[in-house]
Amino acid sequence: MLKSVQEWTLLLLIFGVVSILGNWIGYNIFPVEAIPGMVILILIALAGLILQKLLPIRIPSIAYVAIIGVLVSMPWMPGSEQIVAMTNHINLLALTTPILAYAGIAIGRSWADFVKLGWRTIVVASFVMLGTFLGSAIIAEFVLRMQGII
Amino acid sequence: MSEVQKNLWKDWRLHALIFVIVVITELIGTHEFSVGPGVILLLPMLYAIIIGLALYFTPIVKEKQSKHAEPLIVLGVTLLIAKIGVIIGPSLPQIIAAGPALLLQEFGNLGTIFIALPIAVFLGLKRESIGMTHSVAREPNVGLIMDKYGFNSPEGRGVMAIYIFGTVFGAVFMGLISGFLATITPIHPLSFAMASGIGSGSMMAAASGSLVAAFPSMETNILAFAGASNLLSLSTGLYMSIFIGLPLTEKLYDVLTKRRDNRSDAKTGRGA
Repeated sequence: MLKSVQEWTLLLLIFGVVSILGNWIGYNIFPVEAIPGMVILILIALAGLILQKLLPIRIPSIAYVAIIGVLVSMPWMPGSEQIVAMTNHINLLALTTPILAYAGIAIGRSWADFVKLGWRTIVVASFVMLGTFLGSAIIAEFVLRMQGII
Repeated sequence: MSEVQKNLWKDWRLHALIFVIVVITELIGTHEFSVGPGVILLLPMLYAIIIGLALYFTPIVKEKQSKHAEPLIVLGVTLLIAKIGVIIGPSLPQIIAAGPALLLQEFGNLGTIFIALPIAVFLGLKRESIGMTHSVAREPNVGLIMDKYGFNSPEGRGVMAIYIFGTVFGAVFMGLISGFLATITPIHPLSFAMASGIGSGSMMAAASGSLVAAFPSMETNILAFAGASNLLSLSTGLYMSIFIGLPLTEKLYDVLTKRRDNRSDAKTGRGA
């Protein structure tokens, strides 16, 4: 457990440093401004990972992370304004770039499988994703309009 | 992360590579071009996945780095989810107001069955098409199909095929089509934001990221709705497949193949 926590902390710190630099280059946010927000995000992620290990309920760690993130930033939570203000300096896309860079390196190993798929699978797969995306968007559009939100 | 994966932080080669990729892609920055009335956005994250993949085939990346990168995606996603959490928090009142839309659009995931299954059957795929089109085939769905039909069944091969496609191209595909569809169709960006939450962190990030880049004034709401919808998909997606998606796919498959068989019977009947 302690070893895992140490490992997570170090890896999240590496991730944080890379993201902060991406955040600087891509979105012009100076690292000094971004550090407090990144520290908060790392603490939320760590709390979620640790809770998942400690609690007997088997739900994925990202669910805990999300719940903690929502709880600490709710309007009726003391200190939430500062948390929101600090984390606002971290651009979401600056976090996704390193994730997808790791993903790119990892999926190289699935490439051979991908090549074997054949064109029919690629056509069907494209429509599977398109179908989900459009289906959900159309229903959301109807309901949001009925509610007068959009 | 499993107990076997230890000391990943020491893989300086991997982290240095990621660092270089991030610097290069962020320096290139976001570019957009129009295709007819729509806009396709090229974002740093999309170059990052492509550069990473390309590097895998060079001697710079060894098998070891590729193996180590896998659990790091999960860890990176926890940081992303933490960020989405603090976006959802302040928007909680709006999300509660939009609750019915958020809940009902989960049924939109069944859209894949009505669009993709007839195409799969038309292309001549057999029972593979059930595994392929019953859902977007993320991890829980792969588990469900393997559990029900077995790893070496046609359904199992089908679900794995879509899983592999999604793993390799899901984020790029969603990133490209979401901005494009949102600019070309009359559907509101917030509806697409909700649709972005299909139960995969990287696909959701890519799809909602493109939406934000196309509609920067709606950033907070887009990210909050996409994040909330993704959480909902993660928690309800499997049950949706078990109780509605998979039975519906089986039914529709029977209807589609029966019609096809009847038609071919009729043809041979006439021919005889």
